[in-house]
Parts: sequence; structure tokens; C-alpha cells
Amino acid sequence: MPAFVLQLYIAMCLQSDPECPALLDSRIHLEVANVISSRSSVSFRSQKMSFVSIRSRPSSLRFKICCSATGEAQAKKETVDKVCMIVKKQLAVPDGTPVTAESKFSELGADSLDTVEIVMGLEEEFNITVDETSAQDIATVQDAADLIEKLVTEKTA
Amino acid sequence: MPPTARAISQAWRAARSRIRMRHHHLLLRCRAMPLLPLPPRTLRVSGGLVHHRLIRCHGMPIPRRTPGVSGGRLFASLPLPPPLQSPREVHVWYLCPDELNNQSQLNMYEELLSPSEREYADSMKATMLRKDVVLSRALLRTTLSRYTGCKIDPRSFEFKKNKFGKPEVLWPLDDSTAEQPLHFNISHTTSLIACGIAINAHIGIDVEEKKRNTTKNILSLARRYFTPSEVDSLAEISDSDAQRKEFLKLWTLKEAYVKALGMGFSGAPFSTFSIMLETSKGIRISKTSNASRPGYDHLSENWLFTLAELNSSHYMSVCIEDSSRSQAGPEDSPAPVGLKVWKTVPFVEDTLVSGTEAVKLIA
Repeated sequence: MPAFVLQLYIAMCLQSDPECPALLDSRIHLEVANVISSRSSVSFRSQKMSFVSIRSRPSSLRFKICCSATGEAQAKKETVDKVCMIVKKQLAVPDGTPVTAESKFSELGADSLDTVEIVMGLEEEFNITVDETSAQDIATVQDAADLIEKLVTEKTA
Repeated sequence: MPPTARAISQAWRAARSRIRMRHHHLLLRCRAMPLLPLPPRTLRVSGGLVHHRLIRCHGMPIPRRTPGVSGGRLFASLPLPPPLQSPREVHVWYLCPDELNNQSQLNMYEELLSPSEREYADSMKATMLRKDVVLSRALLRTTLSRYTGCKIDPRSFEFKKNKFGKPEVLWPLDDSTAEQPLHFNISHTTSLIACGIAINAHIGIDVEEKKRNTTKNILSLARRYFTPSEVDSLAEISDSDAQRKEFLKLWTLKEAYVKALGMGFSGAPFSTFSIMLETSKGIRISKTSNASRPGYDHLSENWLFTLAELNSSHYMSVCIEDSSRSQAGPEDSPAPVGLKVWKTVPFVEDTLVSGTEAVKLIA
């Protein structure tokens, strides 16, 4: 699986130098998500391949990959902050519980009705339309912020 | 004879070499099944009997626990439920997390979970959510055990997800219960977790608190997600509380349908089908013109619905596949869904609540 090997190689390069700009060919659109050390799962999405997920044994490595194929930085902090604020309000998260980019909606207690209300709140705030297929893939605040940025960019393009 | 430790580790090594990488767009969120089989768990010896936790090895038959074996005694105390007599019958078992606060009982339920389920529970930062995860998995496992004659240890059930992420039981290859496949679906709110069971029919269930308030305005939610005919029927209701309740009823019915179809929210967007509550033939579903777009051919209308009010506090919708409808014409009334509901505290107490004030059929 050469494409798979390529992705792993890229991941390893990025691991050693997380601040590097995108070094990917523009034909291959890859987005690499955050990796959480306790789960050690890495996900890749590529136009050529279906979604591949690899789980390795838990390691003490904790690395963040911050590039996307277009070379832009990950969703801006202000987008993430706005999403956090909308999520906190919708789920009535108590003040003591932190809501960050890595927070998973399921872990915050969001059910399906909460999720659609959050999506609607995001659509109103950012003046975008989120279709059901994209909405289904949102698991964390970061996913939501990345999707918003993508939709806003597509809209203004 | 339970397999020896050596046989287990040989089977594990063989299974590991057969594992292929699966390409699954939802695999990251597939917490019930690890990609690689776990190494064999250590054997515990207790009172001269060797207990072994069942290993998640593919292709390895799951040995049955015999009642009377220490540890097996507990699940054999689950009373046998009345059998599901037809594919139109649905049995629902529910529990109320707020009423289950006995720590030793909760520890007992946690013992039933698989390692990956426990890991998922541990990933919940809030204690209440962790308790909900433990209770919903324990409810599912004990219910499945009941409907397999109480002969299968609740701990031994394995699950897989279909390609859209809907959980299903992974039946062992030599098991005779696989001939009459049990289908299940779970729904939870903070105050109630329900598990619906049907035989030979796909099932979806959704519960919602009657008093739940939405942060968004009801009609704007409906305009965004529901169909025009549903928006119209909601707009006709002048009382805002009644309108909110009608919205929740429609929501649970639509959610139950999507869960029964098992293709995820995007497989059946709410705007592609309409639910009508007040027809003379009970609850009906129809596809909208939106659904004639390519990609929605799988949306079918041969499904039976039932909507009930539980304990005057929750709406519960159940949706099951109606295979007999393909013969009946659309003018024929569908036979009602036979619904039986139990409130349960697994291993402690079961109460049949259907037929009482606690379960009021709405449609």
C-alpha cells in the first residue's frame, strides 16, 4: 500500500518538525488530526483512499500535527474559541468543566438534538450551511472549527 | 471444557496473523471493537475453578458458561422473559440511572463490560456520564442474555458495527441463537436508558424527556431540519408548550426511524421523509420529493411505528421493519406493534409496566 506508506512517512516527518509548512503535493489533499497519546490513533483522509485508521499500542509520545494540505495553519484560535462558547452555552456546561479544542461532544454529554442545535448555532454564527454528511463526522470541537474554516473559505472563494 | 491458557494464546497468535487493516470511515469512533485482538487475559483461579474472561479473538468459539459455576450463578438469576412471538413484537427494558446509586451494584454492572467498553467509560470525564455508559452497556448485555435463554453470560457478547456505525451483535459461529437473530437498539437521556429488542426485524428506539427545552426556536429548528408538511403541522399549534411537545414527538419518531435504518444521520436526513401522526392508520411515514435525489433509494416506507409516554415524563418512539407490508397494499392498515415494557434493575428487580398507567400509548 504505497499511499499508506507515504502517509506514515509524512506523519513521521511532521512528528520530528511539527511547525513545518505543508510539504504535500497539492494533488493529494491530506488532513492530519490531533493525536492523543492515550489512544494513539492516527487518522488520515485522502481523496484517493477511503478513511484509514491505525491504532498502535499506547506510547508516551504526544505530538500535534498542525498542517493541512493547503498550507494554512489549523483552524484559527478565535474560531475554536467561538465554537467552544457555542458548545458551552448549548450543553450548559458547568463552569468548572473545561471545553477545549480536543473536547469530544459525546464526552460533554451531547445527544443528537444537542448536536443539531450546535450545528445550527454554528451556521448562524458563521453564516454557512453544514450538510448532514459533514455534520456526522464532527466528533470534537476541533473538527467543528476545521469544518467551519473550510466552509467559510469555500464560500469566499 | 474451557480452553486452556495455551490453547487461548495459540488461537490468539493465529488470529493476529489473520487480521487485516480495515478501511472504515467511522472506525476511529468504533469503540466497541478493537482492531487487533487483545492479548489473552490472565487466568484467575478461584475456589478450584478456573475462570477465564472471554477473549476477543475472531473465529474462536465462545464457550458457554454453565449455570451453577461461580460467577455464572449471577446471570442465571435473570428471570426468563416471555418470548418474542412475532417480528411485530417489541420488548423494551429500561432503567433509571438516578435511582441506581448502590456502589456495589454499580461495580457488579461494571464487571460485565468488556475492556474496550470500560476504556470508553473511563474516557468520560464527568462521573454521571461514566455511570450512564456503564449502565447502558450492562443493560444491553443483561437484556441480550435474557433473550438467549439466560444461557449466555452477559460478559461474553461481542459486538460489531455495520459500515455506518450501527452496533450489532456478533454471534459466535456455532450458536443456534443466530438462526433467530435478535436485533437491539439503545437510547438514553440523562434520566432513562432504554433497550429495545426485536426478533428478525431491524429496530430503532428513541427516548426524550417531555420537559426538554430547546435553545433554538422550535419553528426555526423545524424549518432547518424537518419537511415543509411537518413545519406546517407544527405551525398550526398555537400553544408554545404543546408545539414543543409535538416537536419532541416528531423528533423521537424520526430519530427512531434513522436508527432503525442504521445508516446514520446522513443516510436519512430528516428533510427527506415526513412522519404523520394523526392518520387513521396510525403513524405513517412518506418520502418527500427531496428523497428522489440520487443516493436516497434505500429510504423505505415499510416500517411500523409506535409512540408512547413513559411515566408521564418521557416520550418513547419505537420503529421496526415490517416485512409483511410488501404484500399488503398501502390502503391496508398495518397491524399494531405488540409492545411490552419492563422497568429493570438488573439482577435485582424487574417490573412489567406496559398495560399500566406508566406506559400510555399515543399512537
